[in-house]
Amino acid sequence: QAPIIIKFSHVVASDTPKGKAAERFKELAEKATKGRVKVELYPNSTLYKDKEEMEALQLGAVQMLAPSLAKFGPLGVKEFEVFDLPYIFPFKDVLYQVTEGPIGKSLMQKLEPKGITGLAFWDNGFKIMSANKPLHMPADFKGLKMRIQSSKVLDAQMRALGANPQVLAFSEVYQALQTGVVDGTENPPSNMYTQKMHEVQKHLTVSNHGYLGYAVIVNKKFWDGLPADIRAQLDTAMKGATSYANAIADQENGRAMDAIRKSGKTTIYELTPAEKAEWRKALLPVQTEMEGRIGKDLIASIRKLSTAGGK
Amino acid sequence: MKFLDHLEEWLIAFLMGAATLVTFIAVLHRYASGMPIPGLQDALIKINTSWAQELTIYMFVWMAKFGAAYGVRTGIHVGVDVLVNKLNTPWRNKFIVFGLLAGALFTLIVGTLGAKFVWGIAQTDQTTPDMELPKWIVYMAIPLGSYLMSFRFLQVTWVFIKTGELPKHDHAHVEGLEDEVKA
Amino acid sequence: MNAAIIFVLLLVLMLTGMPISISLGLTVLAFLFTMTSVPVESVALKLFTGIENFEIMAIPFFILAGNFLTHGGVARRMINFATSMVGHWHGGLALAGVLACALFAAVSGSSPATVVAIGSIILPAMVKQGYPKGFGAGVITTSGALGILIPPSIVMVMYSVSTNTSVGQLFMAGVVPGLLLAFCLGLTTWFLARKHNYPRMPKATWKERFTAFRKSAWGLLLIVIVMGGIYTGMFTPTEAAAVSAVYAFVIAVFVYKDMGLKKVPKVLLDSAAMSAMLLYIITNAVLFSFLMTSENIPQAMAAWIMDKGFGMISFLFVVNILLLLAGNVMEPSSIVLIMAPILFPVATTLGIDPVHFGIIMVVNMEVGMCHPPVGLNLYVASGITKMGITELTVAVLPWLLTMLAFLMLITYVPQITLWLPNLVFK
Ligand code: NA
Ligand code: NA
Repeated sequence: QAPIIIKFSHVVASDTPKGKAAERFKELAEKATKGRVKVELYPNSTLYKDKEEMEALQLGAVQMLAPSLAKFGPLGVKEFEVFDLPYIFPFKDVLYQVTEGPIGKSLMQKLEPKGITGLAFWDNGFKIMSANKPLHMPADFKGLKMRIQSSKVLDAQMRALGANPQVLAFSEVYQALQTGVVDGTENPPSNMYTQKMHEVQKHLTVSNHGYLGYAVIVNKKFWDGLPADIRAQLDTAMKGATSYANAIADQENGRAMDAIRKSGKTTIYELTPAEKAEWRKALLPVQTEMEGRIGKDLIASIRKLSTAGGK
Repeated sequence: MKFLDHLEEWLIAFLMGAATLVTFIAVLHRYASGMPIPGLQDALIKINTSWAQELTIYMFVWMAKFGAAYGVRTGIHVGVDVLVNKLNTPWRNKFIVFGLLAGALFTLIVGTLGAKFVWGIAQTDQTTPDMELPKWIVYMAIPLGSYLMSFRFLQVTWVFIKTGELPKHDHAHVEGLEDEVKA
Repeated sequence: MNAAIIFVLLLVLMLTGMPISISLGLTVLAFLFTMTSVPVESVALKLFTGIENFEIMAIPFFILAGNFLTHGGVARRMINFATSMVGHWHGGLALAGVLACALFAAVSGSSPATVVAIGSIILPAMVKQGYPKGFGAGVITTSGALGILIPPSIVMVMYSVSTNTSVGQLFMAGVVPGLLLAFCLGLTTWFLARKHNYPRMPKATWKERFTAFRKSAWGLLLIVIVMGGIYTGMFTPTEAAAVSAVYAFVIAVFVYKDMGLKKVPKVLLDSAAMSAMLLYIITNAVLFSFLMTSENIPQAMAAWIMDKGFGMISFLFVVNILLLLAGNVMEPSSIVLIMAPILFPVATTLGIDPVHFGIIMVVNMEVGMCHPPVGLNLYVASGITKMGITELTVAVLPWLLTMLAFLMLITYVPQITLWLPNLVFK
């Protein structure tokens, strides 16, 4: 009997945290189903690019994707933009309470009417800010052209800092930073290091102001059509891959920070508590500003977790 | 028919010019808002031009689809005709008609696939990321452009069979230089 | 096996003379309908998203800019300036043609456009001065090819899009080879002119030179705007293209006034049609390379070549032969779009620099444009001089041999290409 084929397409290299986690899933899934399922990986947008993979999934041209959480707004599920809000997760515990608790579940449920089943959240870490000048206080952002990926929330975030947000394709970022088309950007450390952006950015601030993560999703019709036992086995494999993904995200970010520090090309700055308070003061209003888009209750429920879980 | 021809020409020329202006203005805006002029800088940063890139891309995609149809009518699409041109006229004509009908068939299929696809997307709430336009409207370029192109292929075939004439764009010819050559 | 079916089908369809874009698309459809489980709707998706990319938009912008320049009297002033500088040497006007082509290449992204812009003015003048027609045609046909090697370049944008290589780096990498080729072509011209004792022109005074320079300065300034703008971070390469289109419009209509406002809609329409044709080939080529990828063909080819123990030297030799052969039947953009996605993975596996590989492809395309049966520059030159293609082919020969030697040099001495981008970017 021919194996069931899962085409798993993503837009980053195989040696990134997401790429490695995808490989781990393939390994676990093929082992758990004893070869009844074959997972074909297509990294680096070789099959579908950033802008087309969602449609390809809905058409059934691929079965599995792991897009970044910012991609779900344009799909019509604006609630996912909550992950982009600055300082919404004070630390990882709250994040996991959201992604692995009832809030995460209800978010994933919202994908079902779009023909998509959400399987897991994969971590990529908190973002740091970089530019060619020191960024200690919000006032330092004044007039800076900061590259963001297309997102209303990130746009509002940069504006709240007084910066001038610029949407640029990921492939253009390195040269744009180098020549000065844009002055700075935000990234988790692992992305910054693998894209060599630290080579063209003199200053970096460990702000952890925002979060970047992925959701692993499958075509709903395909998923529901699988035999129940296989679905259960794949679920287990996904759980294994998810804990691996979250563990290596932390690891790779730590390793990237060390490597950037060692390269000596970038000055790394840690915010003092007083400075951090200023950043929060500047950025927290964005949460209120976005209530209309994302949902007041959703934001409030995460804030409640933050205050309650503040150990 | 004349009206359709003009609409087609007017649309693609407009999209070409408009996309250029939009990008140019966005560049000016970014450059000007980078200058630390008190007051003016704040005002400029408040103006949001993040939609400019997206708009430019969509205008050019639409221009490409309708321009491709216009190109059939004016014979601008290049092919490998080295071999066919060596044949005697009756055979050559057969190949030309075959090529034109293949074009009509391909664009007809793509138009239909595109219509199905647009219909599917219209059932969802997908929007474009920056301008938040409904995605299906943007994707309409595929079925509309392809059906128009198919129609143009059939039109050219018809004229060729009846009159033996084929629109041929001379890639070696650039207008406006005759006067200089003479001078 | 699948690979063979795909290529044979494509080749047969192409040889029937139908548009290249249609033969690419039909090959993909036929294959998807009969042999795979990929939903055919993804064809419609790819036809849209294939060009949903800001980098690609540089192509229509550069085409528009080029059309404003050819209509706007920029070429004529560049020729006057070039003549004032080198006109007094052996074969002065021909050398001025080489120099003017190099200057025009630095503002235009296309080779045939360069041949037209410079050739249509300088060729009649050369005949009047007593040069044999063939000599002039040979110089301009080949020097016009500089249009895609000296940045900006539409072919480089296409290569960058199909291989994800930085346009900015490719542009930078084209500068030194472009100047070197201009020098080689100039040297060939000078030797031939000295041998046959072709006319020299009276030496211009420095005052005359300065006047000619001042008059052409508006056009020359575009070189500074495009390259300077990209490397000082004023804009991205695509934005540079848009800015140059607006700038070219302004000098054509308001500064040189060689073109009236009434002509603008026509220029827009022609540019749109030309861009649409290229973008239509791109979408179908993207579709084709999608089929290749989902059939794992480039990967399999890379594995096969590695397995056979091909080294870099023999691989590059084969690539050159392959591309020169392709240059016999197709025009450059189609060749780059079809071949680059297939050859690129092999090249990177063998450790060839992506930028260097791009320049090799571009130089190959230049050679292909100058020889029959399909050679856009040759057709253009034949249109201007009213010479037959056979006669022209003989005329082009000395410069074509120079170009072939230059191709070998570029292929096997990567430093020529990579020196400047490494200097600027590392
Ligand atoms: Na050029
Ligand atoms: Na050729």
